[in-house]
Amino acid sequence: MALSRIDTTNMIEDVPQSKLDNNINFRNIIINGDMSIAQRGTSTASITGAGYHTIDRINTNLSSLGTWTQSQSTDVPSSQGFAKSLKMDCTTADASPSSADFLQLKQRIEGQNLQYLKKGTSSATSLTLSFWVKSNKTGTYTCELNDTDNSRQISKTYTISSASTWEKKTITFAGDTTGTLDNDNAGSLELNFWLGAGSNWTSGTLNTSWGTSVSANRVSSSNVNLADSTSNEWYITGIQLEAGTTASDFEFLPVDVNLQRCQRYYQQYDYTGTYHVIAHGTVIGGNQIRIIFPFINTMRSTPSLSNNGVGNFRLNAYGSGADQTCTGMSLIFGTVQNAELNFTKTTSNLSTNTNGRISTEHTNDASLIFNAEL
Amino acid sequence: MIDTVTKNYEPIYNTFCSYQVTYVNSEIVKSVPLDEANTDYQAIQEWISEGNTVIDNPPE
Repeated sequence: MALSRIDTTNMIEDVPQSKLDNNINFRNIIINGDMSIAQRGTSTASITGAGYHTIDRINTNLSSLGTWTQSQSTDVPSSQGFAKSLKMDCTTADASPSSADFLQLKQRIEGQNLQYLKKGTSSATSLTLSFWVKSNKTGTYTCELNDTDNSRQISKTYTISSASTWEKKTITFAGDTTGTLDNDNAGSLELNFWLGAGSNWTSGTLNTSWGTSVSANRVSSSNVNLADSTSNEWYITGIQLEAGTTASDFEFLPVDVNLQRCQRYYQQYDYTGTYHVIAHGTVIGGNQIRIIFPFINTMRSTPSLSNNGVGNFRLNAYGSGADQTCTGMSLIFGTVQNAELNFTKTTSNLSTNTNGRISTEHTNDASLIFNAEL
Repeated sequence: MIDTVTKNYEPIYNTFCSYQVTYVNSEIVKSVPLDEANTDYQAIQEWISEGNTVIDNPPE
């Protein structure tokens, strides 16, 4: 049977353009904005420095401003569809920050994911940020977009009005006609939530239009110091940054999709059980086994390797009876898709070029960690 | 904060293959690839530029 020709000329003319704009898949530039993925763990205490501590893709940038417990919380805004939030809990206060001190939460974004914003051209697109936030500490807070390719930034403030109440905030940033973003896998743009800052960051005039980055103009002089009391806590979820001047509903992704997006930057493989086999490889020396470890998803760059303690791994050559606790682990060669790892033990009693295996050490839990974060 | 950086050598061909990094007040040890896009590698280069020295014990 012959197919009829379909005239598509006017098929979508009655659909408002605004509706189309608000339904673009993957419109949220922020990865894991619903705080649902936490490969590293759900709580880390005694945080005094920068790093990724719990929630995937959320970097804590902290310099000498209190001590914190960060956790993945189930305290969420009611009836909004969120299941998790990020919580910052001050455990050691610093009510008088030194000039250089600060606390930010941030997400760094690859330049190649931002080319459609046309930054640095006359057609540069505005960006709208929306998020849910809650804190006992009411007052003024600063959000910032920081273009690290061109040392340019823009800051806006929001106000937490009601203590310990979830509030939705929406902020629109104008497009920037100066400074194109590099089209590569390096970080180009940062979204920063400032939770406290010393005078080096607050003493100027807040830069509410895109301009050259000047430290003193990055944070509002009215910004709260969330570190001023151990009673302080701050929650956030539903972070969405999207092209345009209006905030659409939060784009919920299936958990598998969300996890895969996070695994471009960080992959943690956890093994439990007694002598659970992790990988097979080849004995390349009396005390060394070499394995090839394929990643579940392609990573942003060749990742760094770490673990939760080499003593949680065990080396064994089949039939040799010479198994022993691991004492060393190193990356020999890596790509964005796999890594060649070398495991060593103390006693040199394995037969070279025989089959070897890496397992958990007795009942210890073992974790292999690959990090390609920005 | 980086505490020490040591060159890793591939044990068969004795070629420099990665860095082993320890951190101040941390039990974390990272094995860092020779990839300029890796942020740990970038941190090592910055640490070196600040005048710190990489431990280099090539196999004999």
